[in-house]
Amino acid sequence: MKSRPWRLMQGAALASTLMATSLIFVGGTASVAAASKTKYTIAFVVGAEADPFFQSMYVGAHAEAVKLHVNLIWQGDPVDYSPATQIPVVQQLLALKPNALIIAPTDTKALNPYIKSAVKSHIKVFNVDSGSSYQKNITSWVTGNNTQGGKAAADALASAMNYSSKCTSAQKCDVAIGVSSLTTSTDAARVAAFKAEVKAKYPNMTLLNDVVSQSQPSVAQSAFAQDISAHSLAGIFAVDGTDAEGATAAVKASGAAGAKIKIVGYDAYASNIASMVAGGLGSLSAIISQQPTLEGKLIIKYAVEALNHKKVPHLHTLPNITLTPKTPASILSKYQYVAS
Amino acid sequence: MSISTDLAATPEHNESRTLVRRILTNQQFVLFIVLVALVIFFGSRNALFFHVGEFSNLFTDFSGLVLISLAETYVITAGGIDLAVGSTAAVSGVVAAGWIQPLVSHHVNQGLVLLAGTLACALIGAVAGGFSALLITAFDLVPFVATLVTYSVGAGLALVISHGAPVGYNPGAIYWSASGFGMITWLVAIVLVVAVLLGLVLHLTAYGRYNFAIGSNEFAARAAGINVRRHLVSVYVLAGVLAGLTGMFFYIRSGSGAATTGVTNSANLVAIAAVVIGGASLIGGVGRWAGTMLGAAILTVVSDGLIFINVPPTWIQVVVGALIAVAALLQTFRRRSRRLT
Amino acid sequence: MTQAPERTPVLELRNINLHYGSIEALHDVSFTAYAGEVIGLVGDNGAGKSSLIKTISGVNVPDSGEIIVDGVPRHWRSPHDSMEAGIETLYQDSGLAPDLTIGANVFLGRETRRKGLLGRLGVIDQKSMEREALEQLVRVGITIPNTRRTVSELSGGQRQAVAIGRAIAWAKHVIILDEPTNHLGARQAAEVLKVIKSAREHGLCVLFISHTLPHVLEVTDRIIVLRLGQVARDAPTSEFTVESLLGTITGLNE
Repeated sequence: MKSRPWRLMQGAALASTLMATSLIFVGGTASVAAASKTKYTIAFVVGAEADPFFQSMYVGAHAEAVKLHVNLIWQGDPVDYSPATQIPVVQQLLALKPNALIIAPTDTKALNPYIKSAVKSHIKVFNVDSGSSYQKNITSWVTGNNTQGGKAAADALASAMNYSSKCTSAQKCDVAIGVSSLTTSTDAARVAAFKAEVKAKYPNMTLLNDVVSQSQPSVAQSAFAQDISAHSLAGIFAVDGTDAEGATAAVKASGAAGAKIKIVGYDAYASNIASMVAGGLGSLSAIISQQPTLEGKLIIKYAVEALNHKKVPHLHTLPNITLTPKTPASILSKYQYVAS
Repeated sequence: MSISTDLAATPEHNESRTLVRRILTNQQFVLFIVLVALVIFFGSRNALFFHVGEFSNLFTDFSGLVLISLAETYVITAGGIDLAVGSTAAVSGVVAAGWIQPLVSHHVNQGLVLLAGTLACALIGAVAGGFSALLITAFDLVPFVATLVTYSVGAGLALVISHGAPVGYNPGAIYWSASGFGMITWLVAIVLVVAVLLGLVLHLTAYGRYNFAIGSNEFAARAAGINVRRHLVSVYVLAGVLAGLTGMFFYIRSGSGAATTGVTNSANLVAIAAVVIGGASLIGGVGRWAGTMLGAAILTVVSDGLIFINVPPTWIQVVVGALIAVAALLQTFRRRSRRLT
Repeated sequence: MTQAPERTPVLELRNINLHYGSIEALHDVSFTAYAGEVIGLVGDNGAGKSSLIKTISGVNVPDSGEIIVDGVPRHWRSPHDSMEAGIETLYQDSGLAPDLTIGANVFLGRETRRKGLLGRLGVIDQKSMEREALEQLVRVGITIPNTRRTVSELSGGQRQAVAIGRAIAWAKHVIILDEPTNHLGARQAAEVLKVIKSAREHGLCVLFISHTLPHVLEVTDRIIVLRLGQVARDAPTSEFTVESLLGTITGLNE
């Protein structure tokens, strides 16, 4: 279902909600609660909405919403992944008094006051992907298993780098890590798990300071280019799609210096998969893929069940899939993040 | 006629100071020293900084910044501002990437592909710049607001067209971007030639002089017979073209067009920062090409160097911000001491 | 001074009307001016002096009426056109760009190009312009040791001197001076009046606007009084005294 751009979708959703609210006003008799008994309204707020990861999530969420007859309001700053742009969106949506708020918080703490006020207004709040630091206000949280993902990335990178033969205590291997933002729970968890695994199993890897790209591949590329020049870089863990793009470009551009650099990426963007399949200099050796479509589907399902007073799991982590050049094409296309 | 004696009797601030003092306080000279000092500093922490590979990186990153910084120099000295260069770079890159991808798939010669893309980007950039110019001249919006509108439209279009994912797949472009001689790649060389031309026009031609005149006193320029409206339109179109070229630059570097290039992290503001550090006045009428070049160079060396020597990323923004603040303060100082009244 | 009625007027205005939005700035303004004549233009604040000046110089485009230079009706759309017709204007609000050098200001809008290919590309001959600016200003009596200083480094009086010098240096037929003795001390003001007289002797027609009525009575041949956008009186200077002039300006004489 790739028919219309998301903006029209969101416009229609918003318009229908406003129309519903105004009809109630005019009608005068039915209360909002009564109206919502027939159809739930769920507000869904992400950050960097245009990111194919979240667009894949939308595909799953929207399908489930249609199936369960839910009014889905999907919002989020298209480009900026930050509380500064997410908070105003949350405020606007809360003013519409939805039945539930699903949020992928761009910061573990900054959104808490708004979540608290939502809960006070009897709006159930859910987390998807990233999580808030204060979980008592969250009814359910569906996420990828970032700890497992970070760990798997470390293992995949070590294997690709041929750690056992190439990295010795005399000649350690330099590894760079690239993230979009250090304050999101998902990125932070992956990086922490990666670092822990490296410390435990791969002591001959030296980790450089994290590269922060703020969702811009060009920033990631410049930063990785610096790391390649400054050190004898052997591996890169690109914690999200933006950094994977930047890493592959930086390694390709560095020519001879990049010949031995291995990259492990996170998130199955089409570009990442194409890079891995193409192989050669600067390609991805492995991709840790989440399941955003399934996350979207599940969180809507849990939200509706919770609104119907059924019990839902407080935390549901989905396992990641490690994609390698050896993975069959059918599986690759199944997990590739789609544009809606 | 003794109107003359008054002028002759004025204290000659500039002439009486010795040559050495004048050189030492010249802003461009100071910036140059700062730049050299920074390079030495980073090299002292990690000698690999002086290698050809790293200098190549520096020149490349500098090239990504310099064209939009020069675009802002033109616009700002003319008394305006352009908040849309970042978004124009993004939208041109994304649109052009889509247009030339069929050429890539059919294995057309890379040079032709990139030439086609460059022309496309320049065209789209010109349209974006023209849009800003229209809002300013025909609808009387102030440049800040007008270019903000262009920014919103451009950034939005870039996202809608690209669906947030990179557009196109052209690894051949990346390999080409690394080709050249030593630390100057072909890509960098082309950008530097354009940059030099822009400097020559700004400081040696009537067009450049009109730019300063309009920024200094628009009424005086109009009264002197200069077609101010036409000039302003051309300046914003020029800025748009340069932004478009920058979009192509980033396409070549990464092999695809990204909608977020220059948009989220405000490459725009960094470009303006380079102009401010270079000594231009945001009110207009004052600015130098060499200043902007040095400002952009300093910003590039600082942000790349800090990564090079493994400084935590949060500190980098603090340092860059501090740089801009110092430059702005120095400028206020200088202007206060120069005016007689 | 004498007028020769058979001569063609170097400048003639017929029935000029000008609106700013809904405000009528000039209504049915007409007058003639001859070469070698100094005409004083006086009036209270808001009488329309500046509007009239800007209409003659091309900054404002009149709603109706004619401007005739040397017997030929002109329709100019910009200051450029009036300058081509030989009319130079010194504006009350600065006509100088403070951040440009004195030399650059003198040649503003009329830069000399370099010879050959470079010139066709727009490259200007900065050295020759600085040199010529120096010479031109000296020719009209203003010596500056260094034209490369920016105007912002000059005091108000010095800027005025440069602006007057520029106008006189370029003027071919008519020179308009809008409050030229502003910012000037008594001695310098006297110099300006001398300059005006010498401009007349060189055959220029001078339109001299001033609030300082004694100055107007001293140098002009004829005085035009504007009130509320209209010509209240247009008569030889000899027919006025300070009191009667003031009375015509304020309307108390009527």
